[in-house]
Amino acid sequence: MKKLSFFLFLCLGLGNQILAQMPNDHVYMAKKDICAALIYSNTSWNKYWENTLFRDNLNLGTVSTESYMLMAAYGLTDHSNLIASLPYVQTKASAGNLMGQKGMQDAGLWLKHRITISRSFKSHVVAGLTVPVSNYVSEFMPLSIGNKATDFQMRGMLTYQIPNTKLYANAVFAYHLRGISQLDRDSYLNGDKMINTSTADVPDAVEASFKLGYLKWDNQIELYVDHFACVAGDVIRRNDMPFPTNKTMMTSIGLYGKYQPKNLGVNARIQHVLQGTNTAQMTTYSVGLLYQFTLMK
Amino acid sequence: MKNIKSIYNTIKLNLTPYISHFILLTFIFLLFTSCTELELETVAEPYAPASLNESGANWNPFVLANGSEISVAKPVDVKDPSFVKEIDSLKNNVVGKLNSTQTQAINYWGAGAVYRWNEIAREMAARYNLPPAANINGVYPVPDPANPKADPKFPFANPPYTARALAYLSVAQYDALISTWKAKYTFNRPAVYTIDTQIKALLPVSSLPAYPSEEAVVAQVSYQILLAMFPGEADFLKAKLDEAKNIGIWAGKNVTSDVTAGLKLGADVAAKVMAKAKADGMGASNNQTIVPGLIEHAKGLGITNTWASQESPARPPMLPNYGAVKTWNFDRSTLEKMRPAKPFVEGSAEFQKDLEELQAIQKGQTREQARIANYWADGPGSYTPPGHWHRIAANEALAAKFSEIKMARVLAYVGTALMDAGIGCWDTKYFYYSPRPQQYGLKTSVGLPNFPSYTSGHSTFSFAGATVMNYFFPEKADLFNNYAQDASNSRIYGLIHFRIDCTMGREHGKNIGSYSVMRAKLDGAN
Repeated sequence: MKKLSFFLFLCLGLGNQILAQMPNDHVYMAKKDICAALIYSNTSWNKYWENTLFRDNLNLGTVSTESYMLMAAYGLTDHSNLIASLPYVQTKASAGNLMGQKGMQDAGLWLKHRITISRSFKSHVVAGLTVPVSNYVSEFMPLSIGNKATDFQMRGMLTYQIPNTKLYANAVFAYHLRGISQLDRDSYLNGDKMINTSTADVPDAVEASFKLGYLKWDNQIELYVDHFACVAGDVIRRNDMPFPTNKTMMTSIGLYGKYQPKNLGVNARIQHVLQGTNTAQMTTYSVGLLYQFTLMK
Repeated sequence: MKNIKSIYNTIKLNLTPYISHFILLTFIFLLFTSCTELELETVAEPYAPASLNESGANWNPFVLANGSEISVAKPVDVKDPSFVKEIDSLKNNVVGKLNSTQTQAINYWGAGAVYRWNEIAREMAARYNLPPAANINGVYPVPDPANPKADPKFPFANPPYTARALAYLSVAQYDALISTWKAKYTFNRPAVYTIDTQIKALLPVSSLPAYPSEEAVVAQVSYQILLAMFPGEADFLKAKLDEAKNIGIWAGKNVTSDVTAGLKLGADVAAKVMAKAKADGMGASNNQTIVPGLIEHAKGLGITNTWASQESPARPPMLPNYGAVKTWNFDRSTLEKMRPAKPFVEGSAEFQKDLEELQAIQKGQTREQARIANYWADGPGSYTPPGHWHRIAANEALAAKFSEIKMARVLAYVGTALMDAGIGCWDTKYFYYSPRPQQYGLKTSVGLPNFPSYTSGHSTFSFAGATVMNYFFPEKADLFNNYAQDASNSRIYGLIHFRIDCTMGREHGKNIGSYSVMRAKLDGAN
């Protein structure tokens, strides 16, 4: 079990942003073990939901977001992990003339704690915070690299391991308490109302996932469905561009795999948005290089 | 059964660690909420004007001949039984009986009828400032004024449209208030709170005569102009009118006859102003049939690579005939005389230099350049550059505690200068039909407007606006000039204009603004 290193990274692009989410896995680094990772991910889309209208846009073509993320997970104890991440993000559109954006996006820090209920049932609580670490432009959507708002996440997980197998099921519920986005402009429409300030409220969101997987000490494969929904916000108006205040909703499916026979390992993910509003039909794939080691005791 | 019980016990036993987590989470939550609050909007509040501008009755209006052109019926004497009855009705039905919505309305509208209606108009412009989407055949449907709520909504409140809507609104308010002042100081009927001391004023008191009610005049005239400009908003505007017209009554200032006379005056002025609006040529501003001729003309001037829509599918140019709309503060021959000289053309060293400047910005746009470009972008979904300058003007006049009539005066001169700037700039754009930087491989960080490049609308609008603001607030000239220069530069930083577009637009805008100032100097208000 000691060799079991793990962290999980889920990259959800929200229409125009990549939201680096906390590790929402049920696997832990052992005490004083560290897993460092470099993950490349690529999200692209050529259709989106303008409010509920599913459309393409010849003046955007395919919009793609590439992210290079450094991550590290550290075992505070066998049951508590600290996880940090730092992404560099760049965007581009294949058609039209909108200039791609790039920069350091939102750094994240999470604390994950496991509470054993029984041999098969484990529960987990996770608290995390992502904070914009550069002064990037949030109002140039969909090319902005993020919505430039802090995101405090509270997450609860319940894992069931089928006795005497390597199979598990994992249910996750999360609440994203999101802050404000600092704009360059000092007025914008929120719904039908003109707001004459340079701060925009990024709506809070709830998220729920259900996962089925297989986990052995050196490898893992997992299939999941994820639903993300803002609890407030305005909609994209006819033929307008998205904005940080939008009420996004999306349901995605994904497949995740990891192979780590020794210190070095790899992981990969593919995720696709099935249905949404005020967001794009994104497809994300990511690959990561993992390196796990133990801190001197 | 035993198994379930053991699970239950385990859960119970393991609750303890949650408590410390819960406390920690709550703490982080509170910390987080405390540092993520939305910036509060500056709230405009009721004020006693610095001056009542009694001479306003004799100022020169824009559309009317003078303040007496619209006749206002002579009110009954304050000792007349019918007036006494009005006061009684006020005391029985209104005084002390306001609900919270009405009290809030008094504070909201008390900041200024002209100020609030201008703000509403800007919000309206922002809501309607979206280009139509192409249909499945790749054709862009034209917004239909007879069917304003259909897709695409009418109007597409782009900068020229908004400049015009706000200009007519401001002119109508100004002309109506000159007429109002004329009637007020002809009849000198006092506010009811000075006639009957049992009636308490809920807004700052003044010696301004009450008949006709200026709130009702401005409400009615603004309602009619905005309804004509934004015909899909009938319900929204009617609700605003119904509230705004009664402010004087609720505030203990007016009786019903003050309001009735105000509504009539407002309606009469609105009819005169709209008659002018209907004949100003705006109806033909989107005449696309002239486009081939415009291109041919530009080629004849030596513009070898003319403008072409960079959108997909190609979108017809925005209002190619807006340059022919009637101006406010100068005539057609003056407009033609002022038209900026030919821009640098492809192949010249000057053109190359301007292009290279943009290429360098594309490679290394600074965050400050991006900020300026975004701040002044005023693109789709915004109140446009003319709206931005109306906001600046209204807020300055508010800070200076201008009376309703003086607030309207500032907005009318700024507003007509902005509309003239739009007309002069559009005339120039389609005269030369010059290409955008995107036709030379550049991207944009703000979005590309769909019309020819030379000259820059932002530069022309902003320097015209700043020139007029400098006249009204000379002590703040540096500030307005800096605003205008930033707005102008923002189009270079955003990579959608060559420098020559902006420097020539600046001179053109200053020139256009000076005609508004010249008119203001002679209007009897100084």
